[in-house]
Amino acid sequence: MTSGELQPHLTFELLDESGVGLTGDGLLDERERRLVVGAANFHSLASPGRTFRFTVLRGPEGTFPSLTDEEVHGIEWDDDREVVGSMVFRSLVHTTSAFSDTDGLIDLAVDVGGRAQVMSGYHRLPGVLGAARRAVRFTVPVQFDALRQLRTDVTEKRYRAKDVPRHSPVRLDRGASAVPMGKTPAVLFGMHWLEMGGAERWALESVKMAKDAGLTPIVITDRDSTHQWITRPELDGAVVVPLTQPLLQEQEAAFLNGILSAFDVRGVHVHHCSWLYQRLPWIRSVRPDMPVVDSLHVLEWRNGGFVDVAVRMSNMIDVHHVISPQLRDYLVGRQNIPESKVKLATLANLTVTGIEKSVAEKGEGPFTVAFVGRFTQQKRPYLFLKLAAKLKGQLPVRFIMHGDGELADEVRGLRARLGLAEVLELRGPDQPVGRTLTDADVLVISSDNEGLTLTSFEATAAGVPVISTDVGSQASLVADELLCPRHPYPFIRAASARIAAMAASPARRQEWLTQQAAKAEAFAKLPDARSWTQDLYKGWNS
Amino acid sequence: MEFVNDVAAVVVTYNRKDKLVKVLDHALDQSLRPTWLVVVDNASTDGTGEYLAEFAKEHPEVVLVSLAENTGGAGGFAAGMARGYELGADFVWIMDDDCYADRTALEELVNGLGKAEESMGMKLPYACSLVKWVDGSICEMNNPGTTWDWGRLIAKGQQNVLVTHCSFVSVLFPRWTLTRFGLPLKDYFIWFDDQEYTLRVTQAGPGVQVLTSTVVHDLGTNRGVNFADVNESNLWKFEYGVRNETSFRLHHENPVAAAKFVVRLAQGLRQGRVPLGLQAKLFKKLVEGIKFNPKPEFPRSVL
Repeated sequence: MTSGELQPHLTFELLDESGVGLTGDGLLDERERRLVVGAANFHSLASPGRTFRFTVLRGPEGTFPSLTDEEVHGIEWDDDREVVGSMVFRSLVHTTSAFSDTDGLIDLAVDVGGRAQVMSGYHRLPGVLGAARRAVRFTVPVQFDALRQLRTDVTEKRYRAKDVPRHSPVRLDRGASAVPMGKTPAVLFGMHWLEMGGAERWALESVKMAKDAGLTPIVITDRDSTHQWITRPELDGAVVVPLTQPLLQEQEAAFLNGILSAFDVRGVHVHHCSWLYQRLPWIRSVRPDMPVVDSLHVLEWRNGGFVDVAVRMSNMIDVHHVISPQLRDYLVGRQNIPESKVKLATLANLTVTGIEKSVAEKGEGPFTVAFVGRFTQQKRPYLFLKLAAKLKGQLPVRFIMHGDGELADEVRGLRARLGLAEVLELRGPDQPVGRTLTDADVLVISSDNEGLTLTSFEATAAGVPVISTDVGSQASLVADELLCPRHPYPFIRAASARIAAMAASPARRQEWLTQQAAKAEAFAKLPDARSWTQDLYKGWNS
Repeated sequence: MEFVNDVAAVVVTYNRKDKLVKVLDHALDQSLRPTWLVVVDNASTDGTGEYLAEFAKEHPEVVLVSLAENTGGAGGFAAGMARGYELGADFVWIMDDDCYADRTALEELVNGLGKAEESMGMKLPYACSLVKWVDGSICEMNNPGTTWDWGRLIAKGQQNVLVTHCSFVSVLFPRWTLTRFGLPLKDYFIWFDDQEYTLRVTQAGPGVQVLTSTVVHDLGTNRGVNFADVNESNLWKFEYGVRNETSFRLHHENPVAAAKFVVRLAQGLRQGRVPLGLQAKLFKKLVEGIKFNPKPEFPRSVL
């Protein structure tokens, strides 16, 4: 998509620009340009009718964008920021205030940050203690993980025992009328960030569905990120606002009021966005009639995660959409949320189109064990490598690791250190997952937490049995005996025993695959998230 | 939101083929038919497995869980309830392999629990039936403990008694009870597993005995559990009972409750003039119970 197609902007009109590339060639790439537009959206909404001049900065590698936070109001910046653009624009958001020329220009310095990249939480740990933890984490990853899992045991136990406190409800059925509503029907979305992930993929698909239903998506993110996915086609035509915090306090309500006055917001759909969750009581107070739904993916034991925020804000939410039976049971059974407010609609088959079932018998080659997924802490690629090292000595076996991510260096390092270079092939995300699944005899999922992995659906579609840690809702898809403990050493023991059993007995492998297929078939009969969401948006636009 | 009420009936059996036939017929011939009938075979050796395999062929709602070893009633119920939960049941309805449910037993349980919840304004963790012996009298062994305000719902015209615990002979658990409190303690093997579990889930509120839901418990003799009755042949069961109850009173209640249990045990044994050798064995189990403190497992959400 070219920058020209971004026009017309719904929230501002461009008066002049240099370097940004909204009207011609610029110094920014598409991602950076969209970040600048995101910042312009925010300021146009937060200060209706005003005229702004952006000085656009670019930070060094490893820095995040600064677009909406207090910092942008200063006109002094660090030595390592280069100026790559300048633009003047006027907010098109309706206002009853009359601004004269003497009110002048609002000058802001927005920073698009460094080049697009992802960093693990460990890479970001500050201070000496952080450096020490980082050192231990990367020197002895498996031992470190064993300790992490013990900590998870403790928090999980505590978590199971606690009742999440609730935010008191809003008792109004009408808010006092202040700002007139806009005419453009819209949906307000909250997202964590625009990076690769299962939750994000679903969120973007719902953004597209809103557009298909004739609603303009307004997409807010609240987490620092380089937002590589901001260029995704699903976001074309959406009003994207990547918040960087802390916002000026007075701008918070101004921003939301701007949205409510510029658009006819028909509903709010929160996908993992703490900022928006926490503003729901206010939104409910000014617009009690506006429907609010959220989509929940993962029950995160270690820090409660979004599910607990959702429970706390449940009085502001009409429907909690959950993608797994585990989340439904947690909300209804554990947190006592009325069944009528919890909608289970699954993402089965979100990514399986185009994956061929490999019916042919596997060739003569050695038994092939695959890992498909991002190389992130959550997916624990180092456990797969340890498992490979253990199996290498026992069986004629080869391995494929398909993915990329913040732990890519660690994966390459361990592959060499564990002597796996000969038997373990690394494949980048530029290659199709379908081919890896065709090559594989078994897929291993070593994650320490999951909702319901999309790769499990893909593997089932490709006729490949899945060995997985027994976390999240993996039990919904994986054969009972192929569910392995989450703790690293027990995981390696259990997974290697199952792989050895499969390699020795094709009948056994087939039996497990049949069980997995039966589970997938039963799961596929659960309500589907796509059609539920389509109906929801259709209702919002009727 | 769809309000389906799928019930998984759960029957645990061990070497009791003759009675099991009738139990399963009664469980299926309900005015409110269960969606699944989960039959847990605790590694029976009397041909139960073959019989069940045949039975399952004729009845598609039957789900067989064949355990590799006898895990006792406690292990069987834990396995069966977990299976019902995994199948996606909204309720599990559990019973022994010598319990004949009257035709409306399940329907009355579901309705009785619903009515009780409506009047109490809260979710209640279980509903149990009125258990009769074969001659129509009350079954001595299966009387629930009542709450201090047991007549609260009777005063409102319902046939429902508020209870604190009951035995596993026709008990209906809503799904959320399993989500929240987990499964019965399989390590108890036999005896007191039902009391422990129902007492545990009563933390969320009282259970309810629905007097219009009736079942027949086909026991050889109609007698309650009494330590005066200990003899060589039944000692093994009492051993589990002593260990389990000691553990429960001590670890889930308090040392005073445990001390009271010891006194009750000693009095019962003395009254029954139980031989000293057997008494010694039971006291050994009591000591074992001090250290014994198993933790519940939780079922998996699959569907």
